[in-house]
Amino acid sequence: MAKSLTTYFEELRRTRVWRSIFRSGPAGTRLHRSLVVQQNIFLHLFATKARKRVMSFSATWYLGALTFGTFLILAITGVLLMLYYHPSVPQAYADMKDLQFVVSSGVFLRNLHRWSAHAMVFLVFAHMFKVFYRGAYRPPREFNWVIGVILLLVTLLLSYTGYLLPWDQLAYWAVTVGSNIASAVPLMGHTIRYLLLGGNQVNANALLRFYVLHCMVLPVTAVLLIGVHFWRIRKDGGLYVPESASTEAETPVAGITGANLSSKTAGGRHE
Amino acid sequence: MAENDKNYPLDEDDDLSRRQFCVKLGVGSILVAGAGTALFAYQYLSPNVLYEPSPTVNAGKPDRYPPESVTLDPAAGIYVVRGAEGFFALSAVCTHLGCLTAYKPELGIIACPCHGSKFRKDGTKIEGPAPNPLPWLRVWVSDEGDLMVDRSAVLPDRQYVRI
Amino acid sequence: MSEPPKVYVADLNSDARKAPVRVAFITRRTSAAVQASDEERMMTHPGVFFRVLVAIEALAIALVWIALLVDAPLEQLADPMHTPNPAKAPWYFLGLQELLHYFPPVVAGVMIPGLVVLALIVIPYFNVNVEGGGLFLRDRVKRVKIAAGVVVVFCIFLVAFEVWVALAPTLLMAALMAVAARQAAGGQTQGLPAKPLSFWIMTWFLAELILLTAVGTFFRGPGWSWVLPWKGY
Repeated sequence: MAKSLTTYFEELRRTRVWRSIFRSGPAGTRLHRSLVVQQNIFLHLFATKARKRVMSFSATWYLGALTFGTFLILAITGVLLMLYYHPSVPQAYADMKDLQFVVSSGVFLRNLHRWSAHAMVFLVFAHMFKVFYRGAYRPPREFNWVIGVILLLVTLLLSYTGYLLPWDQLAYWAVTVGSNIASAVPLMGHTIRYLLLGGNQVNANALLRFYVLHCMVLPVTAVLLIGVHFWRIRKDGGLYVPESASTEAETPVAGITGANLSSKTAGGRHE
Repeated sequence: MAENDKNYPLDEDDDLSRRQFCVKLGVGSILVAGAGTALFAYQYLSPNVLYEPSPTVNAGKPDRYPPESVTLDPAAGIYVVRGAEGFFALSAVCTHLGCLTAYKPELGIIACPCHGSKFRKDGTKIEGPAPNPLPWLRVWVSDEGDLMVDRSAVLPDRQYVRI
Repeated sequence: MSEPPKVYVADLNSDARKAPVRVAFITRRTSAAVQASDEERMMTHPGVFFRVLVAIEALAIALVWIALLVDAPLEQLADPMHTPNPAKAPWYFLGLQELLHYFPPVVAGVMIPGLVVLALIVIPYFNVNVEGGGLFLRDRVKRVKIAAGVVVVFCIFLVAFEVWVALAPTLLMAALMAVAARQAAGGQTQGLPAKPLSFWIMTWFLAELILLTAVGTFFRGPGWSWVLPWKGY
């Protein structure tokens, strides 16, 4: 039974339609495995090969990948939650009650979204400290570190804007306190608060602005910066591990590692 | 797969190697998880509670309606018709593409403004692109003596309510 | 010899022999340190992908379990006329809220976070100690004196503002630094003595973060008063 399933699948992969979509062929040889990565619009952000030392668990604890994983979980659960949530006052609170008691799997999705959010904030801090303690911020990776710090701020802002959306006591007063801290900025503080809330108080305008920030502006920013963050890892020569005692000096040597060489990319001069 | 099997020969063709078993287990769990996810996703996406008005409409006391009259209730989207045989209700929603029809008393017909469908007072079609006549809806008298119309209950044949 | 050299013009002809396509441009200087290395490599597919997939799956399973067992909080409808007591920020801001107890909002809410973010951004651009040499492995006596001086001044500042909470991690780090200096004096070059200045500052920051957040979460009750979590309020 299973045998026919496998042969059926293999036959499917030999059809014209399949081969028109997935052009790299079965990943049985190193060439085809390289093609799988290189000819995929999402995957060609990666190099076709990775250094083995970098993939060991103790090198990074996979914290960066885990942070990205929580981001994906949040994006999916977030979109699903958006289907039952009206960002108006006081409908928002009623929708939260609906999600808990009326909607099938509503309580599960809401819980997953909330705990993934806390996990993401924790993981992004852990990732930052891990990168620091293994020295992966040093040149030539300085700018990637800066992008990481900006991503940390974006994560905190995402969590903060999402915090208001249930419109319960916890949310309302947390945002009141936070917006009052924002107004403490010298010179511009009150303007910042006015723009953030869309008014002088935390009311319907504030909810809508936070909703737009939380669901559109900040996620798009995060996706773009994550793309840059991943790209810079590649361009800086892959993930950092401390060099073994033997070899290279720190001076940049013109050359191309196996990781960067591929037949189609123009490695090129980059300024 | 084949090289490892040399040291551990399988007895018959039906036996699985450990690797084949693990692969089957893995693929099977993914399929089960996928099926479960699809089921739960469908349940999540279809609302259990709707905040829409009830299909049952209270049309008021029968004396409100003069004999031989056709009265449109635009909010409810129904015609309350008092004919010679008694009361009946028609859906005012054109069966073509859903526009709200209007009663033309000077012509004695119901006409749809969108694409020109015309119906008689009993709902049957005179002309136009509408595929079906205007459906008859269930009418009854409540305990307080009010006419009640259930917009979700389409009658298969003509039934009149006599007061 | 007699033939003029062939001129290759880059155009859209896809025949590589007639119009060679530039694949890679090797220069003496590149903007990133690209080093040739002979390290052992694995294929990204399936090596990297499967490992990352398993890691994310493990995370997802853990989160799903937690989501099934523990409910997210939902309090009553927002009431602008009634402030709950205490009104706490989300946990990652509680460290900040704890600082707000001691300093005015301009300092604790704007200056300190602003300086922290700025310091974080600037870390990799400091050329000091890029090699990561241990703080107490060179000029030990002088550096111990400077470190002691900084710690003492900072502690006086904290005591003056009665920021007892921030005192504990500072004293802890000072003690660790003293241990490191003592070990360096004894000739030890691995472990604590090998840690550079950036390590000490960052670890101090991490310790402060943990303690301030923990205090704000567990030890603060109504009116931001000090409570013991096991006693309830």
